Amino acid sequence: MNLPATFVFSAKNLQSYADCPRRFQLRYADRWRPPTMTAAETQGELEYEKRLRQGARLHQLAKLSQQGIPHDLLKAAIQDDKVALWFDELLSSGLHDLPGTRLPEKRLQTSLNGRQLMAKVDLLAFEPGGELVIVDWKTGNYVPDRESLRQRWQTIVYLYVAAKAGAHLVGAPLPAERVRLEYVYLARGGQRVSFAYSPAQMRDDEALLSGLLNEIQNASDFPLTSESRHCRFCAYRVHCERGEAGSLHQVDFDELDEGDDAELDFEQIGEYAF
Amino acid sequence: MTIALPKLTPAQRAVFDAPLQHKLWLEGIAGSGKTSNGIARMLHLLQQGVPAESILLFVPQRSLAQPYREALRGYPGYGGGQLAVHTIGSLSRDMVETFWFLIAERAGFAHPQDLPNFLSLEMVQYFMSRAIETLVAQRDYFKSVRIDRARLYSQIVDNMNKAAMVGFPISEIGTRLQTALGGGVEQAHIYADAQACAMAFRQYCLRRNLLDFSLCIELFSQHVLALPVARDNLRRRFQHLIADNVEEDNPAAHRFLMSLLPNCKSALLICDHDAGFRSFLGADPESADRLRQACDNQVALEGSFVMSEPIAALGAHLSAPLVGEAAAAETDFRTALIAEAHRYHPQMIEWVVDEIGKLVFEKGIKPQEIAVLAPFMSDSLRFSLFESLRRRGLSARSHRPSRALRDEPAARTLLTLARLAHPGWGAVPVQFDLAFALTQTIDGLDLVRAKLLCDVLYRDDGLHPFSGITNTSMQDRITFDIGKRYDQLRDWIATYSQGEPIAALDIFFRRLYSEVLARRGFGFHADVNAGNISRNLVDSARGFRWALDFLRHYDDDIDLARDYVQMVERGLIANFYLRDWIEEAEDSIYIAPAYTFLLSNRAVDVQFWLNISSEGWSSRLFQPLTHPYVLSRGWQTGAVWGEADEQELERQTLRRLTLALTRRCRQAVYLGYSELGESGYESRGLLLETLYTALRRIHTGTAADAKPPPQTPPRRSVSTRPI
Repeated sequence: MNLPATFVFSAKNLQSYADCPRRFQLRYADRWRPPTMTAAETQGELEYEKRLRQGARLHQLAKLSQQGIPHDLLKAAIQDDKVALWFDELLSSGLHDLPGTRLPEKRLQTSLNGRQLMAKVDLLAFEPGGELVIVDWKTGNYVPDRESLRQRWQTIVYLYVAAKAGAHLVGAPLPAERVRLEYVYLARGGQRVSFAYSPAQMRDDEALLSGLLNEIQNASDFPLTSESRHCRFCAYRVHCERGEAGSLHQVDFDELDEGDDAELDFEQIGEYAF
Repeated sequence: MTIALPKLTPAQRAVFDAPLQHKLWLEGIAGSGKTSNGIARMLHLLQQGVPAESILLFVPQRSLAQPYREALRGYPGYGGGQLAVHTIGSLSRDMVETFWFLIAERAGFAHPQDLPNFLSLEMVQYFMSRAIETLVAQRDYFKSVRIDRARLYSQIVDNMNKAAMVGFPISEIGTRLQTALGGGVEQAHIYADAQACAMAFRQYCLRRNLLDFSLCIELFSQHVLALPVARDNLRRRFQHLIADNVEEDNPAAHRFLMSLLPNCKSALLICDHDAGFRSFLGADPESADRLRQACDNQVALEGSFVMSEPIAALGAHLSAPLVGEAAAAETDFRTALIAEAHRYHPQMIEWVVDEIGKLVFEKGIKPQEIAVLAPFMSDSLRFSLFESLRRRGLSARSHRPSRALRDEPAARTLLTLARLAHPGWGAVPVQFDLAFALTQTIDGLDLVRAKLLCDVLYRDDGLHPFSGITNTSMQDRITFDIGKRYDQLRDWIATYSQGEPIAALDIFFRRLYSEVLARRGFGFHADVNAGNISRNLVDSARGFRWALDFLRHYDDDIDLARDYVQMVERGLIANFYLRDWIEEAEDSIYIAPAYTFLLSNRAVDVQFWLNISSEGWSSRLFQPLTHPYVLSRGWQTGAVWGEADEQELERQTLRRLTLALTRRCRQAVYLGYSELGESGYESRGLLLETLYTALRRIHTGTAADAKPPPQTPPRRSVSTRPI
């Protein structure tokens, strides 16, 4: 596998490989970013985009609220009812029992098999010498069953990376059993699905991750998935001739495998002129 | 865990081993091992248990952080948070975004309760045009300036950025320029017009919560840093500082570093001698020098890990006479200098490519160890080099970020088809553009047959069905297979045109791509580059739409899609796209403008300097509305910029450039010279004269003789280069 030298494994790209090895190859090895429609129709595409932007705005507000910006100022700036509802839910139910030190939008990184593995989390909450809680805000309407959630690469990667790399945050060795992951479903009244961790689970996850990283690094063939449901919202659907776009009501917005949507920023100021 | 580091010199070792709490200033020439030392220090901090996210790596542009990132990636002990990498731009944006609600009202925004909208560079150009175009037309501004609008607006933006970076009010721009540069009544009007436009744009932004780079820097420097909570935020986040290439940064960055230093647990500030190449972007080495005094220890690295002795001598011989000094080096540099004169420019290119072929195939030099450099890299020069190298089986890569999206075939095709599909815009494409778009769209269709199709079937501002061709021989020539795919495209556009046009042009592009162009039998199918360029255009159009969506809270509606296409074609937006900085294959010859090469912070075995008679090696660009020195921090109020200053600046510029290039070269410099330049005219720039002088001196053995400073060269009287 010819991955860029700076490639870092993450829950997102591992899930991409798990769903369809061909998708992983086209996106991360070939660095192909086709502008394929996600929805079948223009109106659907606009609704889809609106929904994504609502999710992004909620995450932005959550970050600012954790950075100490007064909540009333943030609430006054919200112009979207759905975002306002989620944000209220986040403030009223999502935070009270979490440890006091909060770091929003943190990227934790560790190495495994000589490769970097990272987790970009919505919120880390911890007490020095105490527990480390990873919080992930979900804005989708659908709450998967617990076992499905446990098996998702996001759960595996977040818990493993936090347990392996989080010690410096709590200022002491961090046994796996002091790490916890909380999915908070804001569109479902702040419903939580919580996963505790353990040394045994960490060993199992390490074996699983290690096996997958080795498999990707040694792979020479990247077959197309046989499960066509993974193709419905895939950017390579047209290239692979895997049918038309799916219907929006089938989208689980919490599990979208979105391509990188980096936008231009002020970095250009210093770079474009040459 | 121990770190495997390259062998360090005693001076480097001193920096590496310095107690963690020390604040160090490290300086030296390019190639003396400063960045390697910075990397070693960063790894040392991590090894001592310092959390990565508490280290701020501060650089003038992101690409300069790459060696640190790569080192971190290869460091087995790295785990935990992420090293914070920032430029003054990214940090300002991050902090303004965080503390917006605490500063917006006192900063004068009309809607402090709403969120801000940070403008990308292309959106700044667009909003500038919206903010000032009526004013320019009504008051007949800039009537004597003969440059296109995009360049004109970019100079107004540049003035505002410089004011923010240096720290003077934008209301002083016109006065500063007028006092220093004079130039008569007409020129005074131009400066006054530039001033009025800057003020109008600033008011426009304040009324709509729009933040361009200058406003963001101003908010950060004047408002965010005044908040105790923000200063505390910075202190808690960044306890260790590594700042590289501080000489390439601007005074706003230096002010921030000065404010951060007292509270840092450790700091390493790295400064390159004889640099500061980004002066037109505000780089200010003199301002950076203030940081030296704020450090506990100052260390200078001597010597070079890069240059051979003859190359070092070449640098010395070229630079010394430019400042009236004698070259200290005794070594004859001619063994490292290869040149051949040609009459015509294409002959020079062929010679360059021949020599590269010899180096790679006969002398075993790796392609990635060769850099081909020119003061400016035009499309034709770049294309000629790429094609000639390709014919010899050599691959090249370019690093030219300012390639316009509209010049990319895939983007041109999408824009042409958009105009065809929107007859209501009153901007149907000309026949040639449409024929070109058809060749890109329909797999296997060449330009001759595309032209035939257009001749017969493109009329009344629309495409007609393939069945409109009744001539059998023409049908056979074009083929029914192509005709079938032509009809598919034509039907799609016809169906679209009959419906309600899509206000979101980016979604029009996506639908056209998904429903036609990316399908088997069409030109974008399985074409990674066409897909990525299309995506860039989609992202650009979407950014435009989002920015205007935001504006709907405050302004009237406009025709988004038509406005976007007009702006692209006028060169106001979609001129550059950051993602295109992703470099191509590493094992290829590097082709770039000289300054771009310098800021890639790398050395090569062999450099080719093209167009050495060009004045572009030493002269500034012609910028009638701005001036990098008059608007710099060091400019004395009331001083006047004259011809002597300009010529002194040229000498200093060339001195720094030749030193910087030779310090990034190991073995040899090839000089590409043609009597007639790229545009067919003779020129005789300062580099050529300096080379003659150096060769004459070494030939006559007068290298070590002290010479008086050079007098004004008799070569010309005008020292700026119109473009």
